[in-house]
Amino acid sequence: MSERSSIFGGQGVASFGFALLIVALYVFLIMPLITIIGASFTSGLMIEFPPQGFSLQWYREFFNRQDLVDGLLMSLRIAAITALVTTVVAVMAALAGQAIGGRLSGWFQIGMTLPLLVPELLTAVGLLFFLYKIDLGKTVTGLQMGHILMSFPYAYVSVTAALRQVPPSLEEASSSMGATGWQTFRLVILPLIMPGVAMGGIFAFINSFDLYTVSLLLKPLGGNTLPLALFDFLTYEFKPTAAAAATISILLSVAGVAIVQRLVGLQRAF
Amino acid sequence: MLRLSLAIPAVALIFVFMILPITNMVEMSFRTLGTTGPFGDDYTMAHYGRILTDGYYWAILLRSLMTAGAVTVLCLIVSYPIAWHLSRATGLKAVLLYALIASPLMTGVLVRNFGWMIVTALNGPLNESLIALGIIDMPLRLLFTQTLVILALVHVFVPFMVLPINNALRNIPPALTEAAASMGATRAQTFRNVILPLSFPGIYPGMILVYVLSVAAFVTPALLGGQMVSYMPTLIVAELTGTYRWPLGSALAITLSASTLLIVAIFTALTWKLMERARA
Repeated sequence: MSERSSIFGGQGVASFGFALLIVALYVFLIMPLITIIGASFTSGLMIEFPPQGFSLQWYREFFNRQDLVDGLLMSLRIAAITALVTTVVAVMAALAGQAIGGRLSGWFQIGMTLPLLVPELLTAVGLLFFLYKIDLGKTVTGLQMGHILMSFPYAYVSVTAALRQVPPSLEEASSSMGATGWQTFRLVILPLIMPGVAMGGIFAFINSFDLYTVSLLLKPLGGNTLPLALFDFLTYEFKPTAAAAATISILLSVAGVAIVQRLVGLQRAF
Repeated sequence: MLRLSLAIPAVALIFVFMILPITNMVEMSFRTLGTTGPFGDDYTMAHYGRILTDGYYWAILLRSLMTAGAVTVLCLIVSYPIAWHLSRATGLKAVLLYALIASPLMTGVLVRNFGWMIVTALNGPLNESLIALGIIDMPLRLLFTQTLVILALVHVFVPFMVLPINNALRNIPPALTEAAASMGATRAQTFRNVILPLSFPGIYPGMILVYVLSVAAFVTPALLGGQMVSYMPTLIVAELTGTYRWPLGSALAITLSASTLLIVAIFTALTWKLMERARA
């Protein structure tokens, strides 16, 4: 709190009011997540907050529901493949992006983040028709491609940011010592950008795990992701089992954010 | 050259699974409706004609565009103080606040919407505390209303607005506000004449992003809007997966995108004028 605070950070009623407002806004942000986590531990029979007592019965119930568990396993598998593929493709693209100079480089950036900039619904509708055309409609492969596409920008942005931190002189030094391009990449560049690569993978994983619209339209025959299963569950049964399922998904995200914080620091991540 | 070829898989991914499908969707919107499959063999302009002349579609389109407008404005009002507060934080406090803002961003839209279902339930914490505070006598019925859809969408998009504004605020040199203060400007004047214009590079992209994304949001209206309130995205998905009229669904999607772009263009033109006047 230095001189910068002089505008709102004055004394008296105004700053007290501002502090109150800030607290209210943070409560607004975190409220839905707190209620879900709280409601999942209720020992009562209804979704409610504050919860009645404490019990793990709804987690037991979750793992006894074949449809929800199948959804969880499918989401985990798709997200893992998504993270793997997007990071490899993103590292390659980011290396190429470095070599593009001038005005083109900006267009390349926009092109690579296109799936983030175009609303998910439009991409999903386009993909629905297209996958039918190439005989991948209603298949897990088709859904997997949709997830890779939608999560790619997260990996790309993280890797690019990490690569920007590597001084070009290192690469010059390495090649002047006679290292090949691949050796330079594997022994010099990759270790330096590894936190950024891991962060990109984590973001891609979490994004894929939570995708809904793309999954709904590209839904394979006889397969559901966890968000799809959860939506169906919520439409027919409004039970604390849903809160347990949602809490598992929240914990995954929180773990992801915590790992990113450990690796690179959140401030650098955005 | 070798280095540039590393971009091939990524370019192929975006081109084959995004550009081609969206182009394909434009073509689909001119197809006739099929009798045996989701689309026919011939081409027609009829779907656009139908959408543009039918009051039913107009009403839903307008509701979508206006709702997104309300979401964008409310989002700005909620996000600005948060971004301001975040931009001043340092050290551990900053890390915690970033985590607080990033956690909702990293949690799926569906999960966050579900949270609002619990919060706004008839005997949920919101109603209970409002009654306890004596603000209302009867619990408010919020589930399956447009109000809740707007509230939940604001919640979903706050991080998209906070982060660019926070970046813009961090780029304002503290010396500028000190200079304004030393010239005798009040805090309100400094804010209006110095801080606000300089944070515009964050506000503008934040507003565009939130508007475009919330016009096309599907999950929130589908889960929290119920059957009573329909929006364009829910209508589009119903045409595609319910009645299987793909050409009509595509035409609706393209109409929605075109009107969104038109509004963004008008907004950009207006703000440019405003900025020029502010500079003069």
